[in-house]
Amino acid sequence: MGPAVKIGMIALSAAIAIGLSALATGLAQSRIGAAMAGAIAERPELVGSAIILVAIPETMVILGFVVAFLITALKSAK
Amino acid sequence: MIEKMAKVEILGLKDIALDAIDVIHDLGTLHIEDLTERIGSMDTKRVTRMEMDPKFAEHEGTLNNLRAKVGDMIRELHPDVDVLSAEDIATEYKGIWSENVEVMISRIQSMLHDVERDTRDTVERKSDLMVELSRLEKYAPIMGKVQPLADRVAKMTDMASIALIIERKYKAILNYLNEEISKITEGECEIISSDVDDESTAALIVFNRRFLKQVHEFLAVQDVNQVRLPSDLSKKPIDEAVAEVRARISQIPSEIDEIDSKLVGVTDKYSVKLLAGRNAIHDRLEAMDAVPKFGQTDQVFIIAGWLPEPEVEPMDKALTGKFGNKVVMTVVDIREEHDSEETPVALHNSPFTRYFEILYLLSKYPRYGTVDPTIVFAFFFPILFGLMVGDIGYGIIILVAGWIVHRKYSNKPFVNMIGFVLTVGGAWTIFFGAIYLEFFGDWIYRWLGLLNADGELDKYLLGTKNSTFKYPVDRIEGFTFMLAVCLIIGWVHMGIGLIIGMVNGHREKNYKHVMEKGGLFLVLTGVLMIVAKFGLGWWPAWLAAVGALMAVGGIVLGALGAGMGGAIEAVVGAGNLFSYARLIAIGLASVIMANVANELAIEQAKSGWVGIIVGVIVFILLQTLNLVIGVFSPSIHSLRLHLVESFGKFFEPAKVRYEPFKKTGGEE
Repeated sequence: MGPAVKIGMIALSAAIAIGLSALATGLAQSRIGAAMAGAIAERPELVGSAIILVAIPETMVILGFVVAFLITALKSAK
Repeated sequence: MIEKMAKVEILGLKDIALDAIDVIHDLGTLHIEDLTERIGSMDTKRVTRMEMDPKFAEHEGTLNNLRAKVGDMIRELHPDVDVLSAEDIATEYKGIWSENVEVMISRIQSMLHDVERDTRDTVERKSDLMVELSRLEKYAPIMGKVQPLADRVAKMTDMASIALIIERKYKAILNYLNEEISKITEGECEIISSDVDDESTAALIVFNRRFLKQVHEFLAVQDVNQVRLPSDLSKKPIDEAVAEVRARISQIPSEIDEIDSKLVGVTDKYSVKLLAGRNAIHDRLEAMDAVPKFGQTDQVFIIAGWLPEPEVEPMDKALTGKFGNKVVMTVVDIREEHDSEETPVALHNSPFTRYFEILYLLSKYPRYGTVDPTIVFAFFFPILFGLMVGDIGYGIIILVAGWIVHRKYSNKPFVNMIGFVLTVGGAWTIFFGAIYLEFFGDWIYRWLGLLNADGELDKYLLGTKNSTFKYPVDRIEGFTFMLAVCLIIGWVHMGIGLIIGMVNGHREKNYKHVMEKGGLFLVLTGVLMIVAKFGLGWWPAWLAAVGALMAVGGIVLGALGAGMGGAIEAVVGAGNLFSYARLIAIGLASVIMANVANELAIEQAKSGWVGIIVGVIVFILLQTLNLVIGVFSPSIHSLRLHLVESFGKFFEPAKVRYEPFKKTGGEE
C-alpha cells in the first residue's frame, strides 16, 4: 500500500468517525428537539431542561470529533 | 449554603388573630405551613380551619374589583416601571396601607376617582380624533378623484350628483347601475368613474335633480357605499370640503400629540400611586388568602410554619412585645431532626456566589440537609467556560459586555446574574487565552513569527516541540496533552460531586449510599491511572496495575452499596469521565474556525485596497459568528457537565422553596 493510499485511508477513517457520529447526533437531536418543542408549548418553564436534553446527544459527535482528530494525528506520526 | 430552618407554632387568643397575622405579615419571615391536611387527619373536631369573617369576604370582592381597575389603568397609562423610584412607591404604599381594610379601600377608591377624572376626557378625545383621522384619510383620495367632476356638475343647477365608492373587483356593477338609473331618470343620467387605488373605484352619478328621491331609494336597496361626508362638510362645495379634509388630516396628529403629552403628565402624576395601590391590594389579598391555612379552636388560633434560625428571636420579640402572653410562639423542632422532605429550603450564599444561583432557574433547590452545590458551580462553571473559549480577544469582549449588562440591568435579577456570570467567564477566558496565547485565533503566533510555512506552530517561547511542558500551549499541536488535562479536570469535577454525595450519605447516616459513591470514585481514579499509562511514557506499569485493582475494588464497593445497580453505575459512571473530552473538542473547533477566518481575511487582503476592505469584512463577520457560537455552546456544555456529570452524582432536589409570607413593601 503506497503512502498516498495510506493517507487516504486515514482521512476516510477520520471522515467516517465524525460523519457517522454527526448523523447519529442529528437523528437523536431531531427527535429530542421535536419532543421538547411540544413539551415547551405546554409548559414553557421546561425550556432550561430542554436545552440540556438537546445537548446530551452532542457527546457522540464530540467524541467522534476527538477520535477523528486522533486518527488524523496518525498521518503525521507515520 | 442552605439556611438552617426552625419549625414554629404560634398560638394566641382568637380575638387578636388578625392583628397577629398583620405582625407576622409585616415581619415577612414566616413560611406558612398549610394546616388543612393535619386538621383533616385529627380525630378531635375541636380544631378547625380558620374562617374569614363574612365582612372580610365582602372586602375581598371589593379588593378584587379594585385590583382589576388599577390593573386596567396601569395598562392604559403604561408607565415606565424601570425609571420609577422604588422608594417613592414604598412611601406611597405606606400612605395607602391601613390595618383597617375599609380605610384602605376608601383611599384606593379616592385615588382611582382622581385618575379617572383626569384621564377620562383626554382618553375619550384621543379616541374620537383617531376615529376621525382614520375616516378622513379614507375620504381624501376619493374626494380628490371626484372633485374635478363635481365642480362641473355644480355649475349645472338642475343637476344633482351622488358619489360612490366601489371595490375594483365589482366595478362591472357600474354598468348595471347606469342601466337602472337611466330607467328611473328617463335617460337623464351619467356615471363617471375613476380608480382611487388598487382596491377601490370612485364613481359620480350625475342626474336630474327631479329624481333625487327615487335615485337615493334605489341606491339604498342596492347595498353600495355612498360617500357620506361628516355633516359639517356635506353642505359645503366639494372643493372647500376637500381643502378642509386635507387641513384636518394635517392638524389631527398634532392634536393627538398634545393629548399624549397631557397623558404623559397624568402618567407621571399617578404611576407611583397606581403601582403602590396595586401592591397594597396584592398584599391585603395575600393576607386574606392565608387565613384558611391556619387553625382555630373556640378560643385560640394556631399558625404553623418555618423560620430561618436567625429570624426566630425577632419574631418571638415582635409577638411578645405587641401581645404579651396572649400570643405564644413555640419552636417545635430545630436543626437536623426536621423531616427534610417538607422543610422549605432557603439559600444563604456570599454576594459573589449568589449570582451563580441562576443555576436554580434550571433546577430545583437542593433538598434540606444536603450540601448546597452553588459554590462548586460558581467555581467550576466559569473555569470550564474559559477553558473552552480560551482566547484573549474573545475574553475581553465577553468580560466587557458581561459587565455592561450586569451594571445596566441591576434591577432585572435574571439579566443581572447572566451579566455577572459572563464577566467572570470572560476573565477566565482571558486567563486561558494567555495560556494558549490566542488573540482572535492565531494572531499572536503570526506577529511573533512562531508559525512555519504550513501555518503550524513551530517555535515556542518556552521549551521546544518535543518538550512535555512548553509555552504557548497550542490546542491543535498539543491536542493529546490538553485531552489529558481535560480528563484530569473531569476527574476533579466528578470527584467533588462524589465526595459531596458521600457527605450527604454520612449526614443522613445512609452508609450504603456512601459506599456506592466511594465505589464510583475508586473506579474513576483507577480508570484515570490506567489511561495515564497509555498517555504518559514515564508512567510506571505498577501504578496502572494499582489503578486496575482500584477499579475492580470500586465496582465491588458499588455493588455492596447499591446492589447490581451500584456495580453498573460504577462502570457506566466512569464513562462519564470521557464526556469531559468536550472541553478540548469544542475549544478546538472554535480555534480552527478563528484561524480559518484569519487565513481568509489575509488571503483577501493580498489583492489591494478592495481586498483589504473585503478581508476586514470577512474577518469581522466570521469572528463575530465564532464569538456568538463560542459563548453559546461552551455555556450549554459547561452547564451540562455540571447538571449531568457532576451534580447527577449527588444532587437531590428539594420539594419546597422557602417563600415567606411578606408584604411586597412597594415591590411586587
